[in-house]
Amino acid sequence: MCLDLSLPERERGERERERERRMTVFHFFNCAILTFGPHAVYYSATPLSEYDTLGTSIKAALVYLGTTLVKLVCLATFLQVSENDTFNPYQELLKAVIGFIDVAGLYFALTQLTHRNISQNHKFQAVGLGWAFADSVLHRLAPLWVGARGLEFTWDYILQGLEANANLVFSISLAALGSLMWLRKNKPKALIPIIYACAGIVATMPSITSYLRRGLGWHFSKVVGFELFTSLVTAFISWQLFATCQRPST
Amino acid sequence: MAAPRKAREGEVFESVYSVIALVFVLVACVELVDGVAVVDVYRLIQYDLAGVPFGSRLASLNHHAGSSLFAPGTDLSRTVVMIPVREVNITFIREYVVQRQPLGGLIFLLPRMFSPENKDSMGGGDDFDKDLMKNILVELEQLLVHANIPYPVYFAFEDDNINAVLVDVKRNDATGQPATATTGGYKLVVSAPEPRKLASPTVTNIQGWLPGLKADGDSTQLPTIAIVASYDTFGAAPALSVGSDSNGSGVVVLLELARLFSLLYSNPKTRGRYNLLFGLTSGGPYNYNGTHKWLSSFDQRLRESIDYAICLNSIGSWDNELWIHVSKPPENAYIKQIFEGFSNVAEELGFKVGLKHKKINISNSRVAWEHEQFSRLRVTAATLSELSVAPELLESTGGLVDNRHILNEAAVIRSVKLVAESLARHIYGYQGKNVNIFADNSSLTVNPSYIASLLNLLSRTPRVAPFLSKNDPLIMALKKELGDHTIDVNLQHEALDGMFTFYDSTKAWLSIYQVASVTFDLLLLLVLGSYLIMLFSFLVITTRGLDDLISLFRRPPSRKVKAA
Repeated sequence: MCLDLSLPERERGERERERERRMTVFHFFNCAILTFGPHAVYYSATPLSEYDTLGTSIKAALVYLGTTLVKLVCLATFLQVSENDTFNPYQELLKAVIGFIDVAGLYFALTQLTHRNISQNHKFQAVGLGWAFADSVLHRLAPLWVGARGLEFTWDYILQGLEANANLVFSISLAALGSLMWLRKNKPKALIPIIYACAGIVATMPSITSYLRRGLGWHFSKVVGFELFTSLVTAFISWQLFATCQRPST
Repeated sequence: MAAPRKAREGEVFESVYSVIALVFVLVACVELVDGVAVVDVYRLIQYDLAGVPFGSRLASLNHHAGSSLFAPGTDLSRTVVMIPVREVNITFIREYVVQRQPLGGLIFLLPRMFSPENKDSMGGGDDFDKDLMKNILVELEQLLVHANIPYPVYFAFEDDNINAVLVDVKRNDATGQPATATTGGYKLVVSAPEPRKLASPTVTNIQGWLPGLKADGDSTQLPTIAIVASYDTFGAAPALSVGSDSNGSGVVVLLELARLFSLLYSNPKTRGRYNLLFGLTSGGPYNYNGTHKWLSSFDQRLRESIDYAICLNSIGSWDNELWIHVSKPPENAYIKQIFEGFSNVAEELGFKVGLKHKKINISNSRVAWEHEQFSRLRVTAATLSELSVAPELLESTGGLVDNRHILNEAAVIRSVKLVAESLARHIYGYQGKNVNIFADNSSLTVNPSYIASLLNLLSRTPRVAPFLSKNDPLIMALKKELGDHTIDVNLQHEALDGMFTFYDSTKAWLSIYQVASVTFDLLLLLVLGSYLIMLFSFLVITTRGLDDLISLFRRPPSRKVKAA
């Protein structure tokens, strides 16, 4: 290809291409930190690391994988692949219903698995963390590996990383609400409907974001912003709920 | 009990397969989202003339985009410069090319109106500007075609994508920051295989024969009149060389003449006592190589029976003057007769026909007009053209400027009338008489829609001879068209003159990637690092308390702070 170029020119070209390859791996590394870093930080910053709850998280991750497989089977059986990318309410409703399998999986992880003697406080955090980590790995690692090392620069992978952060908060909130619903026996009567309502909203969050993306045609960055905002709101609400329910037993 | 269970198992297997398929589909969809702009680009022609290389010698491209040839401090041998044609400064480019200064690549952006797919008229915009641009393009084309350029040169049409990219690149260049791997910008990639020589290119001549009326008992050969036009083109971008005027107009006039005379000759009562030979020759830009081979293949008797030949070359964009070019001196009786015939008809139609004489130099291999090939074999011939001066080698052969919009359909129609009337008067012996055989509103009227549709077809088909195979659809179409109007249609395949060697790879796709710089990624790393540190501190404070955070830093940390 470069037969006409002299040797030093060819070397310069190769060096330049080497530099570019290193640069795009750098970008992949950045996005990977954004996507998976918070999980590691959460584990090490909170008392989870002191009580060595890694086993719980791993078990939760495995439960998540199983749940995803079941969801895919249901999607494949019941969903029709539409030609164009328009928003079909019936299909979306079906997807939302199948999304509730997630909740079933979380229930299984929280209640049925045998955990070592860890307090409820740490149990839901560990389960939520493992859940979110498995979600990120399954849904975001492959696109990141394939895409972020490409030549073309897009903001997509950074936005995806932010989405992973929001998802972490959502998972932990959902795990908190789940543990309130299924593990705590004595709850103040007034709060029960609120707890269930919040859990319902968080469980249907994927359908809501998909509606925003496809039905309303929101740009990805707007959707991610919305997710981050709602994740903080739900985290705050579930924290308050958890703290309120905590008070009588303490 | 077992059967339903087996059925359910079968269903489960099927759904598992569909799940796997779904997963693959998802992964594939993810891969396709890339955000790269892809543009059609057309390469400058690459050829060797008698062993001397010309044109652009490389095809593949992988460099950063630049917008000017004069950015100081840039390594131009690693840059592809994108120049819109309206901003071209011919003298600069000429110096650059002639001095063979290094460059990564060159992309010329042509205005949309020169695209063969552009159906709208060139209206809008100054006529003066348009003429200026046409002149610049013609000069640029001549410069590039006759230079040896060791880097890839491409032509592309302006569209929104490319214009946006160019604006960005200009802005980056204006800040004095040349684009490299460390400073971001755009990367232009064309991945094309190394251009290879075209093995044995062929020229294909198409001839049609309309026999004249032989009186019973007459065994002598009828005289023949030949009407010839070359149909192939040559230009800076062979994928864009549609040559509407040079020589699409000639081809269309020839086909219309064939149609009119076939109408006349279909009835024995109106068949003339001349045979008519129609020739669509190839190899025109290469010293009318195809015409020479076509004539050499003739029977001696046939060649001697040719009374005269009229060659048509570029008769589609004139206003009120045409030229007849001859190589025999104007005092020659035949020439006088032919010229007077044409001149009279032209006067009646309201325009002028001039006569130009150019002697042939046998020792010079350059053949400027098609009739010279006839004259070298001692056949009287003349070329009818709007060009008053003989073009140089590879000039006026249908280049970038020569597209549908420079054609004047009325001029083509008038050319048909001129040649038809003059020939008919000669054939039927009505010289000097005021008679209008091909009058409007008669059955022999010139058909403007036939002409228009043929012109449209030819204006969409690039016709550089080495890239036309023996059975190219265009050649088949021309053969069919000529065959509809003549009795005998033949194809003659010959090898192109060995002096010319051509290389392939005329079209490619240009991918434009937007690349971020290393500084951006470093900044991003910094931001992410501080975000993770903040997150860590926030979590430690809220779950363990501030004291824990402080104590974490007071004594040697048992676990290192997990930051990037």
